[in-house]
Amino acid sequence: MDMGLLAAQVFNGLVYSSILFLVSSGLTLIYGIMNVLNLAHGSLYMLGAYLGITIVVYALGGTPLAYLVAFLLVPPSVGVVGALLERTLIRRTYPMGEEYQLLLTFGLILVFDDLVKMVWGAAYINFPDPNSFLGGLRFGVYTLPLYHVILIALGFAVFLGLWTFFSRTFTGKVMRAAAMDREIVEAMGVDVNRVFVSSFFLGSLLSGLGGISAGPLYTASPGMGTDIIVYSFAVIVIGGMGSIGGAMAGSLIVGVLRSLAISFYPQLEIVIVFVIMAAVLLVKPTGLFGRPEFERR
Amino acid sequence: MIARLEEVYVDRGGVTVLRGVTLQVGEGEAVALIGRNGAGKTTTIRALMGLNRPRSGKVYFMDRDITDVPAHERARMGIGYVPEGRRVLPDLTALENLEIAYGGKVPKDTLEWLFQFVPDLKRFLNRKGLYLSGGEQQMLAVARGLVRRPKLLLLDEPLEGLAPKIADSITRTLKQIRDEGFSMLISESGIVKRLEGLATKAYGIDRGEIVYEGALEGILEDEVARARIWGV
Repeated sequence: MDMGLLAAQVFNGLVYSSILFLVSSGLTLIYGIMNVLNLAHGSLYMLGAYLGITIVVYALGGTPLAYLVAFLLVPPSVGVVGALLERTLIRRTYPMGEEYQLLLTFGLILVFDDLVKMVWGAAYINFPDPNSFLGGLRFGVYTLPLYHVILIALGFAVFLGLWTFFSRTFTGKVMRAAAMDREIVEAMGVDVNRVFVSSFFLGSLLSGLGGISAGPLYTASPGMGTDIIVYSFAVIVIGGMGSIGGAMAGSLIVGVLRSLAISFYPQLEIVIVFVIMAAVLLVKPTGLFGRPEFERR
Repeated sequence: MIARLEEVYVDRGGVTVLRGVTLQVGEGEAVALIGRNGAGKTTTIRALMGLNRPRSGKVYFMDRDITDVPAHERARMGIGYVPEGRRVLPDLTALENLEIAYGGKVPKDTLEWLFQFVPDLKRFLNRKGLYLSGGEQQMLAVARGLVRRPKLLLLDEPLEGLAPKIADSITRTLKQIRDEGFSMLISESGIVKRLEGLATKAYGIDRGEIVYEGALEGILEDEVARARIWGV
């Protein structure tokens, strides 16, 4: 086996893991806190990429500054879109049960796909390559594209940030508390509706960050939301639903193995992910880091 | 008058569980709510907390109509809640449980103040709710209900499922809290003796109706209450 190729594929896999983590951490966070499985979470990722295109390509002409502006503006904007979805539509399904939630959020996927085609067209759109101005990072005999290195670092930084947020800050603890027993937390003086909007904002922001990060790597296309959501589900099932650490472990496994499969045994690209998922479900149905749920109220 | 329910009807899952409950708690008063399981004690307390909205009737707190005020605002207005089954947040430490109820970092003097009532709290402040014994969970639940220094403390079967010695210690704590001037409503599923020396006034409830109102000691002699609550 060619060690150079192996190393390159692991590196590419880590980049994909990082994107997967950004998206699936948002998905698992919203599920963990609110018990809502937002199928349209991938559409917010897509929206992140297209908003990024709009800023980087159409508004600011592909300069390094354009990227900086896009990375600062896009994630919170997508977060706001997610929060608005929760307020206006998804909230109405809480008294109705999960099947309505799934139907609604599946419908939203179709709406977002068509919306993107209407606004940006159906053709694939390329970002200018950020590595053209970022350059590379010398690593032994290899030169690693700096943008890719930054994305890997970003994934780990977001992981540490989320971990700190949920274990150290008061707002983070309130979010966890609301996940454990929303009624008691309400009776303790917390406006749980606001907690829910905030968690949708944060989860969607992460998806938007994933989208703007992935855009320059894989181009933007109307189907990209569905691609990522399928892998993200596998990630959070493998890692354990509701667990940020699980999302990280799942992303590393799925990202790296998928990347290795692509270069060494392309037929397995999709299969391998779901074989692992099935194996984890058989051995530990709650996922690697999942715990049997506390009784929800 | 601290709190009052007036002709409150509550439906839960299509069934009417409270049928015109009228009840009040006065300033500094510890009031008992006695009834069998399923009689409507929990729903009465939840209606005061705002967790069950009445189909009709009114809820008053400090002379204000709070019927439409959500639970979290009632908590901030000064209603403390010690729920049935304690419901300590399992994945947070005891201190973090208190922080959520306080709305931020709990000041040192407030903690010291809580230790007067529940000195044991000091021991397990940094232990997760999941790893607390039943008695410790109840102490934490009481401290959590108290941490905002509420004007009214609602306690839903606080002695249920505790070893007699621990139940006694909780009763002592509650007496001490009452002596500080806090108003309380305490539900209990039948053992009136447990509340002697704590509550003065009592309500008896059966099938969603108030069947007794008067002194705590009187409930055991009252014919209607005896027949409906204990079937004797």
